[in-house]
Amino acid sequence: MSILEARELRRSFATTTGVLRRRTDPVEAVRGVSFHIDRGEVFGLLGPNGAGKTTTIKMLITLLLPTSGSATILGHDVVAEPRAVRRRIGYVFGGDRGLYERLSALDNLRYFAELYAVPAREQAARIGELLEMVGLAGRERERVEGFSRGMRQRLHIARGLLHDPELLFLDEPSIGIDPVGARELRQTISGLREQGKTILLTTHYMFEADELCDRIAVITRGELVATGTPAELKARVSAGSVLEVEVFDGLGDRLSVVEALPGVRSATVTTGETSQTLVVSIDAGADVTGATLDALHGIRVGRVVSRQPTLEDAYVELVGS
Amino acid sequence: MNGLRRSARVLFTLWWLQLKIVAVSAFDGILNVIYPLFFATTAFLMFGQSGNPEALVYAGLGAAVMGTWSAMATSASGALQSQRWQGTLELLVCAPTRLALAVLPVTAALATVALYSLVATLVWGRVVFGIEVQIASPVAFVVALAVTLASLATFGFLLSVTVVRYRTGWALGNLLEYPGWLLCGFLVPLDLFPGWVQWLAQTLPPTWGMAAIRSAAAGQTPWGEIAVCAGLGLGYAVLATILSERLVDSARRNATLALT
Amino acid sequence: MPMRPGASASGGASLLAAFRVVFVGGVISFRALFNWLNPYIYVPTMLIAPVFQILLFAYVGRSAGVADDGFYVIGNAVQYASIPCLFAMANTIAGERFTQTLGIVLSTPVNRVALFVGRSLPVVANGWFVAMVALFVGGRVLGVDLPLRVWPGIALCVVVASASCTGLGLLQASIALRVRSTAVLSNIVFGVLLVFCGTNVALDALPAWMAGVGRVLPLTHAIEGARRVAGGAGLGEVAGLLAREAALGVAFTVAGLLALRYVEGQSRRHATLELQ
Repeated sequence: MSILEARELRRSFATTTGVLRRRTDPVEAVRGVSFHIDRGEVFGLLGPNGAGKTTTIKMLITLLLPTSGSATILGHDVVAEPRAVRRRIGYVFGGDRGLYERLSALDNLRYFAELYAVPAREQAARIGELLEMVGLAGRERERVEGFSRGMRQRLHIARGLLHDPELLFLDEPSIGIDPVGARELRQTISGLREQGKTILLTTHYMFEADELCDRIAVITRGELVATGTPAELKARVSAGSVLEVEVFDGLGDRLSVVEALPGVRSATVTTGETSQTLVVSIDAGADVTGATLDALHGIRVGRVVSRQPTLEDAYVELVGS
Repeated sequence: MNGLRRSARVLFTLWWLQLKIVAVSAFDGILNVIYPLFFATTAFLMFGQSGNPEALVYAGLGAAVMGTWSAMATSASGALQSQRWQGTLELLVCAPTRLALAVLPVTAALATVALYSLVATLVWGRVVFGIEVQIASPVAFVVALAVTLASLATFGFLLSVTVVRYRTGWALGNLLEYPGWLLCGFLVPLDLFPGWVQWLAQTLPPTWGMAAIRSAAAGQTPWGEIAVCAGLGLGYAVLATILSERLVDSARRNATLALT
Repeated sequence: MPMRPGASASGGASLLAAFRVVFVGGVISFRALFNWLNPYIYVPTMLIAPVFQILLFAYVGRSAGVADDGFYVIGNAVQYASIPCLFAMANTIAGERFTQTLGIVLSTPVNRVALFVGRSLPVVANGWFVAMVALFVGGRVLGVDLPLRVWPGIALCVVVASASCTGLGLLQASIALRVRSTAVLSNIVFGVLLVFCGTNVALDALPAWMAGVGRVLPLTHAIEGARRVAGGAGLGEVAGLLAREAALGVAFTVAGLLALRYVEGQSRRHATLELQ
């Protein structure tokens, strides 16, 4: 049963340019996005910056009106019944903002418990439970200004869960968190899934999406380009395997030479700290390792790895095309 | 009835938590207390020259309430703006509670800390200038003061929802400081002004609050003035509530709420 | 003092360079640091607020029955020049720390005095403009008529007042480098000037110690001078007052430059200059 249904959502913004002669241009941030989320599902919305993820979320959580299209959450229309929708959803975004720095974690939760009409008698128990769940029990009387990013993020999640919403929106919750904090956060999200919560998650980290999401939609330039389980996305885009070659010099025009090799579906370059990595996606059954290394003749080459495609490969191809 | 009880609970809890936020802020605290003292000092010196001790008491009481006006005018205009920087404004709107119930406690907390300035000015006048403010009816005085502060809070509420869309809203708040000092009868009796200015002054709740405080201190009946002050404050609250709903509607249409 | 090759040979050129630093650099830095000062802020805080300050004290004066409106129009208009002078100087210096450029500016080999005097010139001009507008509008609103022939003399008094107050602004700004919030300090200095400079209470009506403090602050002598000019005194009669005002301005500027050098030395040792 669908808990969320988005139909042809569109949103355009008026942007003003120019100092003397001001011109107003409409920019289409989201152009006809449709999807549904089933009860108990973790649904990932992936896409590059500016692809329309946050705009889509803001329409669903009633902060923005769609220019056209419609959406319902648990049967309530996001345009016509904002208050009914707000009561049933939780919203958590990533980053440092969104908390009262000078208040303790406990007071932050009390603040929002009041705004979300959590009955007075249940507040203390509910807040205690949530603090325990996000691993902040014992730190609740400290002011938020002294919290690490990871702690803030977990407090955010506790805040989003105060009124026990059926659907939780997590907009890039892991942004800027160190690896340990991010792992704890993933554990928290997994725990929520086990409790049967429905979650819409956006993230830039593909392994995170792969680990957590039941289904994923990829959005780019305001449109959904693919929807499916992580396995479906991987299979659909790269039927073959992936060859990775670490290179220490500039590739110049060699990239197009590699791309033109028979059996090569696509070739992209990712830049690391000390080297670049050439990522070649290959047709099933083809072996292009020798030909690729020949094409790179004269360039200093490091590690060469052949592997199965990851969600990231699928994503890069979907978004790049 | 249940809704009313819940509203009261939301207002009270949020006021208390906001008070925790603003009461410890060194910047707001120090400047809000010290700045009006310079103006109070000037006024005391000026009235002192007149050689009339009654005039000095008039100034002592007026200058004390004057500081509460500046605290509200200057900080309320930035109150929602700063929630916007912090990213909490979006969350307030996203909650199922009306925005008005989330914003009024913020300005109510600002009105409460304005008491710092009021007490500081009374003590300053007493210690440095020997101004003894006698309070003939203490109960009426406390009620008049509480109603004045409450009406200031609703005025600040209106101010904050009016200017939140403008980045330079704080400048407007600063601009309101002097006219309020001039018009609310803190240091200048209203009958010195032309008729239309008196009319304007009577639309500001502190004008009536100040009059009520003076009446209570002098032992006269302040209840009529208190009632007008409360009525005006309520009017401002209703207006601000309507504006805050419209603010949210327009923000949903035009994406003006968040900075990001 | 290290030798600078060619410095004496091209004395004329270096003078020109210093001149350029004073004028062009001044205007550029003022505009760069004040692009936030748009009309929506400038008009309310610089043009309207001083008129209300004049009205407030003129009416308090009427209420207390102590002096005529002209006394308050002149006192408050001239004193309000301190708002742009204090805040602008604090912003030029603390603002640079904020944008992390102070270190770069201080490490350039340009003549530092020329640099800061250059920065202060537009500040002085702006302070003068703000005070003159307040004087004109405030006088109009209250019906205080100043005859045409006294305006040049008053304008001169206001020039000296803005300049000496900018000197205080420089000192205050260098102290502000060591504290967190420059705006609080500027507001407090403004308040001190309001109370002590004879703005609304003549110096001889103040307690002796307060009048003593007033006599070593900027603005006091210029306000007194402007009031006398408005009352019909010739420039010769107020020359002494203006000379004292100017001398105070120079003294505060020198103190400001010394304080800046001290703070700079301290912060090189303790790395506090780029703190924020």
